[in-house]
Formats: sequence, structure tokens, C-alpha cells
Amino acid sequence: MRFSIPRYWRERHSHYRLYAKKCSNCGRVNYPPSNICRYCGSIELEDYNLDREKAKIISWTIIYPAPEGFEEQRPRIIALLETLETKTRIIAPLTDILPEEIREGLIVEPVLRRIKEDREAGLIHYAIAYRPVIGSIGTSKQ
Amino acid sequence: MRPETSVGIIGWGSYIPRWRLPLSEIAKLWGFAPETPRGLNVVEKAVAGRDEDAVTMGWEASRNALLRAGIDPKEIGAVWFGTESKPYAVKPSATIIAEALGITPDTMATDLEFACRAGSEALRISIGAVASGLVKYALVIGSDTAQANPGDILEFTASSAATALITGPAREAAAVFEASYTYITDTPDFWRRAHQPYPLHGEGFTGEPAYFHHIVNAVKGLLEQTGLKVDDFDYAVFHQPNGKFPLAVAKRLGFPREKVLPGLVTPYIGNSYNSSALIGLSRVLDIAKPGQRILLAPFGSGAGSDAYSIVVTDRILEKQDKAPKVDDYINRKYLIDYATYAKFRGIIARIR
Repeated sequence: MRFSIPRYWRERHSHYRLYAKKCSNCGRVNYPPSNICRYCGSIELEDYNLDREKAKIISWTIIYPAPEGFEEQRPRIIALLETLETKTRIIAPLTDILPEEIREGLIVEPVLRRIKEDREAGLIHYAIAYRPVIGSIGTSKQ
Repeated sequence: MRPETSVGIIGWGSYIPRWRLPLSEIAKLWGFAPETPRGLNVVEKAVAGRDEDAVTMGWEASRNALLRAGIDPKEIGAVWFGTESKPYAVKPSATIIAEALGITPDTMATDLEFACRAGSEALRISIGAVASGLVKYALVIGSDTAQANPGDILEFTASSAATALITGPAREAAAVFEASYTYITDTPDFWRRAHQPYPLHGEGFTGEPAYFHHIVNAVKGLLEQTGLKVDDFDYAVFHQPNGKFPLAVAKRLGFPREKVLPGLVTPYIGNSYNSSALIGLSRVLDIAKPGQRILLAPFGSGAGSDAYSIVVTDRILEKQDKAPKVDDYINRKYLIDYATYAKFRGIIARIR
């Protein structure tokens, strides 16, 4: 086993649902979750899952030298996103998209995907990635 | 009064991966006659990406079903996952989906296996569970990244997709079950032994004694039980291993072609196994009108078939536009070559 089982289990709500904390005082979403609002210092925060918000692409990078466990997903595309509703900024992988299709402002939505696996016999790690909303990227060009 | 009549479909949803392999690629690589795809009445097949599997596809189909159901996920009391391509041989897939959708922990959850009709068995079980009051809502999923031995005729059609149905009280339903009937025998038409990567099948034996015998008898059983006639149905959706068999079985039962075509998805995406008939139902529900009656007849090798009579209610109209439709996914496609397909589906073996 290369990856920690307890850590994957402990973080499953962050991976599956983008678990965050929303400040009851200033309304901003703290992601990763924090018990003290990093924007206003309030300790009045409630649970909030970012997985139901669409987002827009702010910037992105294409990574060719893949780290261990990601070799079959080369190249990896990682984007800086801003969610549409709460304007929360997050960094997440993009999927179902070709490098030439990516553009600033493109609307994407969260989907559950296999992010990495612990070789043939170990655990499969699932987490949220973002892909263009259905209908926004067209049909085949081939 | 049958138990079915107190139960209906509260939400439905499907998922098809973006990637499509033109079947001409398979014919070219493996030296099949170029007209082979035309004989199967299938043009392209949907291929799950490298980061997709039956769980991720089932998750998205379920999310779409939840959008249409408009219920709190915590009210779901059972998650039943029908597949023959479980990512784990041991460790439930259903728990991953239940956790990721916020359904846990007060729920049942398990994976079912009966070749292509495990999801349909789950649907029949859910009718009993809801009718008895054991659960308020049940989430039933059929999802597969179907495997095929490279170069086998099966490779032309084995594809990837998922469909989810949320069943619940008839008074809240977009479509209500009227009756259901199951016909099962021990017929060895298709199997995969433990630790084998690909299934084997009995070639022509998969047709007459398996597909046709079981579907025809399930549908006849349903009609005899209910007194309904072929003419009473507006749509007929059958298991669709290729684009040809559903039209042939419909003809044998007396259903005209135009009642089958709206629910015939395989010509565009291939056979998605546990989602095969259910995605046909999903596509029909996307367009159905109140009062219409749908025949659904899934089939699974080994072998068995279920027949359902489903009547659409007024609530369908408010739900149809709440999630992406089957045709939205059919139209979202990008053609890939055989090499990309082989990489995506793990046909190229690497040391890891």
C-alpha cells in the first residue's frame, strides 16, 4: 500500500462532496473547511458542500510529468475555478476536455471520478473533478 | 390490487461517457467484414474515460435522478446497484455512491449481479420494499463498463453507460407501475468465470433459447396477468444487446417498429449491459406524455427477463427538464481511435 487508508477515509467528504464551511456572519465559504472564518474571524460557521455549484475557469495548467499514481492520466489538467453561486475559489482537476478546448470563463460542473488508485490491488480513490457542463462543448470534430 | 400500483418512478436519470469508438475501428483492426457494424445496427459505442468506472457513471445517473425527484437524499432507504463490472470484486460499490450523494448512514445498500438484469431485479425488489412501507424511496442503479475479449464479436457492442431510477409512493410519481412479471431459467448463454477479465458466450445460442425465449415469455406472462393487449402500449423498451434484436423481438410480439424506436439507444452508444433497457426507458420518460403506457422488458444472461407495465402521470412534465436528457448525452460525443479506447479500458496492460 502506497497511500494511507485512514487518510482517504477521513477526507472522504472533502473528496466526494467538496465539504466546506460557510460563515454565518460574512456569508463567505471557507474551503478547505475552517472552524474560524478566514475572512472575518467569526466562529459561527455551518457545513456547506460545494459539489452542487457550477464554476467558471479562471486559469489552468497542463502537467506532463505525472506524479506516482497518475501516470495513465497524463497530461493532467488542473484549473483554478470560481464557483458561480458563492464565488468560492478552488483548485481542481478538469476532465472530459481536450487541452485545446479549455478557455477562460468556460462553465464547468463537478463530477465524481477516479482520481488515483493504489496499484492493481489497493484502494481506488474517488474525488470531484470538473468537466464542461453538458451541451457546452460540442460534438465530434473528426 | 397489485403491490405495484402503490409504487412509481419519482426520478430518473442517465449518463453516457463522452468518448465514442466508431465500430469501423474494431472491424479494421481485427479483420472483420466492413459491413459487420451495419449487420448489428450499431454505428458507435460509448467508452468510459480513464477516470471513469461503473461507480462514477452510476453516481452521475443518480445525481440526475435526484434532480428530477426533488427529494432530500436522506429520505432514500435503499441503494441497489446492478452491475457486472464492479470496480471492486469485494467491497460494495453502492456505499461509495450512497456516501457521495449524502444518503448515508440510515440506508440499506448493496450490489446485485445477474449479468445485464441485476438492475432490473433491483427494480422489482424496490417495488416490494416501497409497497410494504419498509422504505419510502429506493435508488436503483444499472451501470456498466462492459468488457469484451478484444477481437470477439462482443467487442463491437460492449459499451459504457448508467441509468438510475428512484422509486417511491405512487402519489408522488412521474410514472406508476401497473404490473410486473419475471421469467427465469438456468440457461448458460453468457458468463464470466472468477478472475477472468472477459466474458465468454454461446455465439448463436445467446439469441433463440436465451434473449428471445425469456423476453417473449416475460411479456406474455405480463399480458396474461393484466389482460392488457399490445395495442394498449404506446412504447415498448426491450433489452438491447445490439440494434437488431429489440426490433426482432418486438415484431415477434406484435409491437410496431415506431413504438420501439424512441427507446432504442444501442445504435448510437452500443450495449450498456445493466443500463441497456433502463436507458431506453429513461429516453422514453424524457419525452413521454401523461396517460401513456410503457412496456419495459430487460433481459439478463444466465438467464431471465422482467416485464413491466408503466403508466405515465401528469407529474412527468414538471420533471423532464430538471436534469440533462439521454439525448443531451448522446449528442455530447468525441470520436476516438482504437488505441485510445484500449488505453481507456485497460486493454493495454502495464506494470504498475
